[in-house]
Amino acid sequence: MEAYDAVVIGAGNGGLTAAAGLAQKGLKVLLLERHNIPGGCATSFCRGRFEFEVALHQLSGMGTTERPGPLRMLLASLGVLEDLTFVEMKDLFSVSMTDGFRLTLRADKDQVISELEQRFPHEKAAIHQFFDLVYAYANNMLAAFFFKDPAPSREKYPVLYSHAFKPASEVLDEIFTDPLLKGLLSVYWGYLGLPPNRLSFAYLAMLLFVYIEFKPFHIKGGSQALSNAILNRFLSNGGTARFNGGAKRIIVENGAVQGVVTDDGDRIQTEHVVSNASQITTYAQLMDRENIPDQVFTEMGGRSLSPSAFTLFVGFDCEPGELGITGSTNFLIDSFEFDDRIFSRMRSVDITDETMVLSCYDVADPDFSPAGACQANIVTLKYGEPWMRIPPARYHSVKFQCAESMLRRVEAIFPGVRTHIEELEAATPLTHMRYLGHPEGAIYGFEQYTKDSMFFQPGRYAPIEGLYFASGWIGDCGFQPTLNAGMSAAKSILKKLDAA
Amino acid sequence: MSKAIFEAFDGYQGIVDEIDFSRKHGVDYTVYRDSVDQQINLLHPSRISLRVSDIIVESPSTKTLRFVSQDGYLPPFLAGQYIAFFLEVGGVRTRRPYSLSSPPNQTGYYDITVRRVERGRVSNYLLDEARRGDILEGSGPSGHFYFNPVFHDRTQVCLAGGSGITPFMSMIREAVECGLDRTFYLFYGNKTLDEAIFHDELGRLSGRFQNIIYVPVIENPPGGYAGATGLITGDLIMKTIGDVADKTFYLCGPQGMYDFCVPELQRMGVPLRKIRREIYGPPAHIWEDPAWPREIKAEDHFRVRVAGGKPIDARAGEPLLTALENAGLRVPSLCRSGECSMCRIKILSGKVFQPAGVPVRKSDRQFGYVHACVSFPIEDLEILT
Repeated sequence: MEAYDAVVIGAGNGGLTAAAGLAQKGLKVLLLERHNIPGGCATSFCRGRFEFEVALHQLSGMGTTERPGPLRMLLASLGVLEDLTFVEMKDLFSVSMTDGFRLTLRADKDQVISELEQRFPHEKAAIHQFFDLVYAYANNMLAAFFFKDPAPSREKYPVLYSHAFKPASEVLDEIFTDPLLKGLLSVYWGYLGLPPNRLSFAYLAMLLFVYIEFKPFHIKGGSQALSNAILNRFLSNGGTARFNGGAKRIIVENGAVQGVVTDDGDRIQTEHVVSNASQITTYAQLMDRENIPDQVFTEMGGRSLSPSAFTLFVGFDCEPGELGITGSTNFLIDSFEFDDRIFSRMRSVDITDETMVLSCYDVADPDFSPAGACQANIVTLKYGEPWMRIPPARYHSVKFQCAESMLRRVEAIFPGVRTHIEELEAATPLTHMRYLGHPEGAIYGFEQYTKDSMFFQPGRYAPIEGLYFASGWIGDCGFQPTLNAGMSAAKSILKKLDAA
Repeated sequence: MSKAIFEAFDGYQGIVDEIDFSRKHGVDYTVYRDSVDQQINLLHPSRISLRVSDIIVESPSTKTLRFVSQDGYLPPFLAGQYIAFFLEVGGVRTRRPYSLSSPPNQTGYYDITVRRVERGRVSNYLLDEARRGDILEGSGPSGHFYFNPVFHDRTQVCLAGGSGITPFMSMIREAVECGLDRTFYLFYGNKTLDEAIFHDELGRLSGRFQNIIYVPVIENPPGGYAGATGLITGDLIMKTIGDVADKTFYLCGPQGMYDFCVPELQRMGVPLRKIRREIYGPPAHIWEDPAWPREIKAEDHFRVRVAGGKPIDARAGEPLLTALENAGLRVPSLCRSGECSMCRIKILSGKVFQPAGVPVRKSDRQFGYVHACVSFPIEDLEILT
């Protein structure tokens, strides 16, 4: 029987860094992936002369070579930095509304504040108060947790103690009166999947902080370049990767991992499994119920599935400027009420005036698409469940209708885009479900309520010896957190082996 | 640091209560099991078991094979899409894509229409060996050559060559059977008139429906032939369609047709974004490609080692994928034309020739990945599948 020190199930961000992190330390590692290409979300596909980026909008945590952020350090430790070229985005984001409102915020604290002061003079003091609070929270959080203060206290970290569990909308309502300004400052909720009335202030504050301090980045060749680079390092460190076939079963005996059965029926012996699949799939599909303590399903049952997304990938036969697109990251917004209407829109299939993000990578990286052309990735969050109720025979026409509605919304802000379309592909929640294997196509895994944050959930650990998780399902979602999750899983295994 | 510090955060008790409540009224995830796979199989099954229910002789060289599903379910498709068959022919496991020629509104069966081709191992097998009742394994429907209502024009100008007619048959049949608000100009090129598949049906449809305009174009017409002859030229197209405005152009046929017709369309003023091309297999005579290295002959042989295994033999003029399959290796594939990326492999050492325009991801190029179906060995190779 084939034997490995560890088997990693899934070559998404978390699976890749886990596998590469273990192989780098000399472990014999097998990486299994159902698809024919590594990356999971971090991938691309070709249509005509375009290569479309699937998931990466703004990479966080990179920082510069002079002032590296945590992600740059992580990638350096894996030895993949020299294989990649990162492109800094100068803007945090632009916001566009159908009434003609336009605003662009540069990725710099002072410039963000001065721009907002100019546009919202009646909220001048509040703007300063808000950013002071965001920075105080982030610094409290980093000192207490990232730098692991051995004796934290409310006196040392007052903002952490008072704001960690507060909803974002409550904080914004306390500080601001202008609903537009509140909407602008919480527009990143889309990267986290929960509207501001349900999202914790902690998430919003940390996201604003890392993007401003470490700048948003993109990658030459897109996120697939990152996935390919990590896989390449894994292979050159002696790792074995198998594509077009995942894991069928995780073998558990006496509460400990004993092996894995692959889709091809091969039995692999191992005492360590890192699952890059969701906990739902791992526990409910890959393992026998009798090997799983009831507590696992009780704990998981309290969590809900995040939205999926409806995404349009459009290739244009002209440069971004000709379409009126001047920013890399454009939020299209028309409604700023922090109420559950946002939620009910996400629960319906059709598209009307949803908030969406349009990313045009060619603005920051003119080589991204072929010369004289550009592409846009336009996404709005939609729960997958209503899509599962569409009869298969109706699926394609519903998909086209939604694509048409989304394009109309884009046209209302960037008129004339339709006359330049060369390629157009839509991805529905079922598409995300197909390629990620996530229940209901949930792109962010479980929803990220405060109750689901790292303080209250098992994270990468399982009550089965040798089983670890590394994915967006175990806590925070997004590129930086999932890449980090894989490294943490690898470290846990290495630590356990060291102790033995 | 003790993790418990968060127990002193404001609002902690509220969160604890929320957790208790949500677990009490929680979701039973044990029932999810393989529900994701089951849901996706309704649209994109990786395999379907198909039974030959009928074989229709279309012409001396062409047959339509009709397939019904063994389990009674056929996934929906868009007119113009293909399915791949997984077959064993002459002891070699291989796969081949065929466009569906039946319309998607016909949900009871899939038709494929196969024409005899020189050295067409699989096509000739299907023509000569397939019998009613045979069971074949197929992929789910796939491909990007279809009418996209979001940005295509309702007037479709279709240029077909030989067996390239099949996706257009599906589109035209759907349009007339469902009364779709679309107009088709179909230019169908063949060497001889009796090679034109579906010629009678298309003539009938064109006579009956104003929105179906059928123009057969015969290269070597019989004496006294009154229809269009020669190649599908820009002049012929312009004379028939009037102007190029508000029309989308679709091409399906051999490479030679694209090489001739695309410049013709551009000369007419059709922008590239209005020209949709179906993939049509690997180039048949790759050694005639202008970029092909002159010192390499089509019959030259090279040794290919897969992941350090025993070397296998590969011919320069043949796609690497074929050599791998002939050696008994299982390499997944669908489109076999460079587009779907299923047969993506990593070249560890040695060189392959890839024709221009194959859509390979930028970072795949950086890390040495190629699509084996359109890669031709020009040195000894070491690869990773």
